[in-house]
Amino acid sequence: MRFSFTEDQLLLQTTVRDFLEGECPVERLRALWQTETGRSPELWSQLAEVGLLGLLTPEAQGGMGMNEIDLVLLLEETGRAALAEPVISSAAVGVPLLRELEENALGERWLPRVAAGEAVLAVGNGINPFLSDAHVADLLLLPHGDEIHALAPTAVTLERQASNDPSRRIFSVEWAPSSDTRVCGGEEGRTLLAAALDRGALACAAQALGVTQQLIDMAVKYATQRKQFGVPIGSFQAIKHMLADLKVKLEYARPVVYRAAHSVACEARCRATDVSMAKAAAGEAALMAARVALQVHGAIGYTWEQDLHVWMRRVWSLELAWGSGAWHRARVADAVLDGLTPAESFGYSALAA
Amino acid sequence: MKKILVCLKQVPHKDARLDVRSDGSWIQDDNIKFEINDYDTYALEEALRLKDQGEAEVVVATVGPERAAQALRTALGMGADRAIHIWDDALAETDGLGIAKALAAAAKDENFDIIFTGLMSDDANCAVTGPMLAELLGIPHITAVVKTEFKNGDVEVERELEGGALEVASLPQPCLLAVQTGINEVRYASLKGIMQAKKKPLDKKDLGELGLDAAAVAPKLTVEKIFVPPKGAGAEIIEGPADEVASKLVGKIKELGLF
Repeated sequence: MRFSFTEDQLLLQTTVRDFLEGECPVERLRALWQTETGRSPELWSQLAEVGLLGLLTPEAQGGMGMNEIDLVLLLEETGRAALAEPVISSAAVGVPLLRELEENALGERWLPRVAAGEAVLAVGNGINPFLSDAHVADLLLLPHGDEIHALAPTAVTLERQASNDPSRRIFSVEWAPSSDTRVCGGEEGRTLLAAALDRGALACAAQALGVTQQLIDMAVKYATQRKQFGVPIGSFQAIKHMLADLKVKLEYARPVVYRAAHSVACEARCRATDVSMAKAAAGEAALMAARVALQVHGAIGYTWEQDLHVWMRRVWSLELAWGSGAWHRARVADAVLDGLTPAESFGYSALAA
Repeated sequence: MKKILVCLKQVPHKDARLDVRSDGSWIQDDNIKFEINDYDTYALEEALRLKDQGEAEVVVATVGPERAAQALRTALGMGADRAIHIWDDALAETDGLGIAKALAAAAKDENFDIIFTGLMSDDANCAVTGPMLAELLGIPHITAVVKTEFKNGDVEVERELEGGALEVASLPQPCLLAVQTGINEVRYASLKGIMQAKKKPLDKKDLGELGLDAAAVAPKLTVEKIFVPPKGAGAEIIEGPADEVASKLVGKIKELGLF
């Protein structure tokens, strides 16, 4: 059994990293904060050209027909770049949701447009009260009990909600379900909504890994440049130990997230538990990274001009999106208390039986 | 159909930490990241733009160890049609002339209309491989190209001179153009392109297959030592109140004739 990414997957990761380093510098993020939407149609088109938006879209509809194992490293890179464009709701959650509808007219219509960067999807879930990127969405997919409804932007009323992250644009949505907007319901609706939640949480976990890595890199760079008592502050044990502990936290979270990607791609029975463990583990690492990076930077880390807060705010946003760390830890606890055996926790229930 | 060759070199990534080997022979390159030489990416983009304009086949070639195949795959992902990967243990210690000989051997029967190279490599900075390759193939060449225009079988180019001046020149095809950075805006490889690149031909060739032997690529130039220059003495630290320091600094700048 192979437990590492393929050469192709790593090359795709390098490609996305190079693209984001070139096209999504922090100056561009800050400039977008000042705009009304906080989003860049030009960058969205570029993301489509690179192929990120259509990675999970079937080839017949202009995509690449790949899966979450191929996507997870790329999402990690979007986190590393603090990319705020709605990649998660459109490419990681909305696309597979539309792809898996039994009645696929909606997918036929929208999947090619998303892959081409011509449309943005916003997908709601039953946990978070507010909807991300609803203001730029061309199609909103919203849950109502076990039903999924598809709405045009004109059919909803949005009210922007406050966020401590200028990159995060969240809205309360007023809307009315009807037979015209209903896409599916019952068992199909429950299945698709559960999968959407897991995909959203997995994507946030992957982005959290990238954000954590970036915070470590920034802290290490600062610790090797900033001198105190004539030596770089990184030579002090207090700094070294904090950064080493953080690196351990990150490297322990990585395989948990990658395992969850595998479980989502393979529709494993333990998918929900694996995703929740990933969201919790990556979120803890990211929260620790925000604290440690701030400690290492000291007073300058609190300033607006220092870029540290760009990534710290992403940490706090990701922690809450698609279920908070507490919500996901509770779901893991439920699975444990429900008596999931060690074999079952690894998806081997059939073999164990 | 126009046939275009782009010569690429894989060099240490711009963010890689570069340490000199203990014997001073070269940098430690065992565990660092590599990328396509920056100058060569502009050369590739120039070729791909020609392809975009009409019928052309773009072939990329590199001389380098196994890891250099990734540079070729990236180039294929950006839109090149096929790749030639030249490597042989005897090339490990060769110089610019040896590299040029290997590339010339691979190119001589292909009848390329245009060969693009970067002006120089980011790591060795020799800027010799392109001109040497052209001389070995017996075709005209020009360096520091900042603009190209293809007219009636000729290539009109602008090349960069010192002091911001430009030189306009015309070359018949086939010819070799060594490209300066900034000549164009380099495209990114797409994820789809990377996956499609797996199906494109990537031919591996050793010296024997190129009709060469180790003696033919034996280096004429021997690198004696790579080292980081020691920090020089003579720095003067001006201390005191800010206005006094500023005044002394201005006096010093005038004294040294720097302003």
